[in-house]
Amino acid sequence: MGLVDKNLSLRNRNKMLIGVWEDEDALLSATQAVVDKGVHIHDVFTPYPVHGLDRIIGVKRSRLARIAFFCGLTGLSLMFTMIWYMYVKDWPVNVGNKPVRFSPSWIPVMFEGTILCTAFGMGVFFFLRNRMLHGIKNDLLDDRQTDDRMIMTIETCEGMDEKGLIELMKEKGAVETREFHHGVQTVI
Amino acid sequence: MIHDSIIRERLVTGDKTAADVTRDISRPILNQPSTAWKIGFTLSLIFLGIFGVSLFWTVWTGIGVWNINKSVMWGWDITNFVFWVGIGHAGTLISAVLLLFRQKWRMSINRSAEAMTIFAVVCAAMFPVFHMGRVWVGYWALPLPNAFGSLWVNFNSPLLWDVFAISTYFSVSLLFWYIGMIPDIATIRDKVKTKTAKFWYNFFSMGWTGSTRSWARYELVSLILAGISTPLVLSVHTIVSADFATSVIPGWHTTIFPPYFVAGAIFSGFGMVATLLVVARKVMNYENYITIGHLEAMTKIIMVTGTLVGIAYLTEFFIAWYSVVEYEQYAFINRATGPYWWAYWSMMSCNLIAPQVFWFKWARTTPWFIFIMSIVVNVGMWFERFVIIVTSLHRDYLPSSWVMYSGSLTEVGLFLGTFGIFFTCFFLFAKFLPVINMSEVKTILRNRE
Repeated sequence: MGLVDKNLSLRNRNKMLIGVWEDEDALLSATQAVVDKGVHIHDVFTPYPVHGLDRIIGVKRSRLARIAFFCGLTGLSLMFTMIWYMYVKDWPVNVGNKPVRFSPSWIPVMFEGTILCTAFGMGVFFFLRNRMLHGIKNDLLDDRQTDDRMIMTIETCEGMDEKGLIELMKEKGAVETREFHHGVQTVI
Repeated sequence: MIHDSIIRERLVTGDKTAADVTRDISRPILNQPSTAWKIGFTLSLIFLGIFGVSLFWTVWTGIGVWNINKSVMWGWDITNFVFWVGIGHAGTLISAVLLLFRQKWRMSINRSAEAMTIFAVVCAAMFPVFHMGRVWVGYWALPLPNAFGSLWVNFNSPLLWDVFAISTYFSVSLLFWYIGMIPDIATIRDKVKTKTAKFWYNFFSMGWTGSTRSWARYELVSLILAGISTPLVLSVHTIVSADFATSVIPGWHTTIFPPYFVAGAIFSGFGMVATLLVVARKVMNYENYITIGHLEAMTKIIMVTGTLVGIAYLTEFFIAWYSVVEYEQYAFINRATGPYWWAYWSMMSCNLIAPQVFWFKWARTTPWFIFIMSIVVNVGMWFERFVIIVTSLHRDYLPSSWVMYSGSLTEVGLFLGTFGIFFTCFFLFAKFLPVINMSEVKTILRNRE
């Protein structure tokens, strides 16, 4: 599996069915109904986080927490090594004849370094994994998907009952259904 | 089981829909600036000008233009530094600590409070940086061989810890604020009409589309950032307090300083949040989003933290007496009855006595009164730092070193000028970025449990 989540790109997708909702509860019940039919939902785009949606469409738990932990460990080790090199190895300073070795006064700087590396390390991986980059072209399906509309996308495959799915979406409160074919959307 | 709450008061009033939220919050960004904004921004620029002149004079002449060339080697500058850092803390408290405690009322105010954190830390950083005197060698504070010889920075010094703490705090807060804002920048991106605006909002929205996968990671990252920002914010003010507490100066050499400073920081920060939001909710018509309930919750925190610092003041006095160290005892008696008694009693009345008025519901729910009280809190907290710094330094062990200190015109100008930096940044923020976290507020429209 690559670093960048390829599911997030809508380019090079052949054909997709799109359902548009304006109500969170209707969307949740529709996604559950589609999944119950054994259909794989490609993604759902929402203007705000809808809790429970990720579990229904089978999004795996992110491993960013583990990455954050390792970034933190890296920060801690880097800061310890830095202080040790400057303070013990390269130029030991005699302060009140105290032994030149690890002391609690190293802790604040080590702590701050740990936090800094955790935050920025995790931040970088978050942007990478989410395919986020300054100025990147966004794959918007609807101008209002960042406002008040929720968009469900289903990638079609051979043998899929497309008509039945469209009917199900409408029945479950979709305000609009569309077909997405080579970057062009048609209302159906 | 999720259901609509019939007990809890609604966090957003006025039966708003998601589209209403987008329209209301993005209105100042999409429309021409209002007259109130123009007046406020011009005033801020005037204060920014005062800062520029004072700073130029300081750098051009040297910090001899401050009145700190006596035994009072820390005066208005470090007072202002601690004052501004403290103000910043409420932003992190609201966005990080209240997120960990699942306090949903934070959602309407976290964005502006975080912005306040960042601007306040910028203001704070000005003072120690320019107090160095020769600011062009300020990079010596970084872990570089001193003057490029082989002597490194001193890791035993709390002043160096400050360099790491403040820079980490600033950068992590900026990251937290920015990541939290990306979905809203994307919303604005899809609303603006002009080409330039579209380019910039697209640039900063980083291609956000609101995918469920992105949201899942976004929420996890927010939670982890909140988790690490909480000990970070505590460490920052603990380290700031260590600047004093690790010394052997009577009045500073106390172990209570870290919790006392952290409580004071939250207290002053909420004071500033209240100052800003009471005005912003009225001027920007956000009364349905920042409700009386929000103001009431903030005043309760102001009262609790005010009482905490009050207890710290009394504990310091008790410990000075209990220690039987005559210098310690003198330092505190001198604070309350010496030549700076007026500063001490201003601090006591503004920080301990005045916030007790919030026991009354009327006081907690009347915006104009909360605004006045928030100013009182800010004045009190400035005096707290002034009292701690100046009263401890103006009396030395040698009576021949005893002096009186007052800020010079340049020092006053710099302090007033930082309000120029702060409010200029805040007005620009209010014009170009959503002041309320739209995507989070949209999740609480239905008052779910």
